[in-house]
Amino acid sequence: MAQDAAGTVGARVSPQVDSLIRAAQAGDQDAFEQLVRTYDQSVLRLAMNLLRSAEDSRDVYQEAFLRVYRNLHAFRFDCSFHTWLYRIVTNICLDQLRKRKVRKEESPTIETREGPMDRMDTFEEEAAHADPERSLWNRQLKQRIESALEDLTPRERLVFEMRHYEGLRLRNIGEALGTTEEAAKNCLFRATRKMRAVLGDFT
Amino acid sequence: MTCDSILKLIPLYYYGELTADEEERVEEHTHGCPACTRELVQQRALAAALDKRRMVAAPMLLEDCRSDLIAAIQGGAPRVAPAVMGPWRLFLNAMAASWSGVGRLRGPVGALALIAIGFFAARLTDTTAPSGTDDVYSTVRSVQPDNAGGVAISLDETRRKVVQGRMDNANIQRLLLAAAHEDNPAVRVESVDLLRSQSGSTEVRDALLNVLSQDTNAGVRLKALGGLKPLAGDAEVRKTLRRVLLADDNVAVRLLVIDLLVANRDDNMVGMMQGLVQKENNNSVRLKLEKALKDMNASIGTF
Repeated sequence: MAQDAAGTVGARVSPQVDSLIRAAQAGDQDAFEQLVRTYDQSVLRLAMNLLRSAEDSRDVYQEAFLRVYRNLHAFRFDCSFHTWLYRIVTNICLDQLRKRKVRKEESPTIETREGPMDRMDTFEEEAAHADPERSLWNRQLKQRIESALEDLTPRERLVFEMRHYEGLRLRNIGEALGTTEEAAKNCLFRATRKMRAVLGDFT
Repeated sequence: MTCDSILKLIPLYYYGELTADEEERVEEHTHGCPACTRELVQQRALAAALDKRRMVAAPMLLEDCRSDLIAAIQGGAPRVAPAVMGPWRLFLNAMAASWSGVGRLRGPVGALALIAIGFFAARLTDTTAPSGTDDVYSTVRSVQPDNAGGVAISLDETRRKVVQGRMDNANIQRLLLAAAHEDNPAVRVESVDLLRSQSGSTEVRDALLNVLSQDTNAGVRLKALGGLKPLAGDAEVRKTLRRVLLADDNVAVRLLVIDLLVANRDDNMVGMMQGLVQKENNNSVRLKLEKALKDMNASIGTF
């Protein structure tokens, strides 16, 4: 279960984060930087898993925290900072996913001499497997997963990945997306059904 | 409960999103239903397959994101679009058109830096291919009317050129080194960022050390630190890092300096860190120092 460094997922603002926010609102640059460092790893991780592009994740990071910087004065402590931040982050990620849906610009696979490979496999993640048969199977499974994720709506994908990779509670995901826990549950169910249908015997 | 209603609950069951009562009902049902048990097994298999594609952001990427953010906040966004031509510039262009031979006029802001860059650029024309048209900027130094109804205007001219070349070109590197001292922090951030890839050269290393010690903008200093990462074992670099750790007023810079120093431990660090941990005001920096000392089996205090 992923937790933000400030405390339990979805908890109200902890006293330490609370004082960082107040100091940052008063113009303390160091406090703002510490606030960013408290949350930025999970923001970058979410963007990386969702967009699978270091460059796009960097853009999401930059845009998200610049918006936080510009609008922090308007944060009134009426929800947790985590929820407020994730509202910003999810909006930016949804925009990115919608753009991709329209343009189909960033294929998750690239052509190599060995055939199509996951873009990220080319510079990080696990090393190529020693067993060629298993390696091929793994590659095909990954392609199926990417294709299944591409078929989800941006909202379904966001809910699904925030739950699976970030370990966020559906209630908090619903809050970040401005919807109910029930709607987030339905989204997760639909996403799982679609994934299962595409993956078939692979899993 | 029917299989249909259980199927809807299985993903939520897997992710621990059900109430205790609902969980119990799912477990009771699946215990006696092979079809729903298979669904649960497949749910676990799906999750395991997804775990295999889990991405971890490289630490360097995180540091780059942080540097970019600080640069954008403190020094203007690193990637700045060229400004639209303002009314003053339009006026000067009109002046230049009617005063042929005098050239376009411009205010003296940053004139010295422009002259320095222009000097380099002029010498580069033989070895690199300049593209686009040249711009001539003039700064009026004096205006002297004479008795015959004329006027003598004294001006300094600066020529703007566009110089293109590869990063490994020595002349391009010299231009970037000059640009790393430009007045505009956005230009400094961009130049230092480009120089990072060339930190193997002594000249570039020294320039990065100079920027790290003296640049007033924390974003630029962080970029320089990024470039010095591969050289964190170099004695000269470590000397500067120790000095920066003691003197820099920016928390992000101090934290990154500690990371670089700790990555290549040496005996000089312990005493300095023990002294610093006693007077460090910032919690994050103090905790990082304490952890570094603990990792080196050194005591936190100096006794």
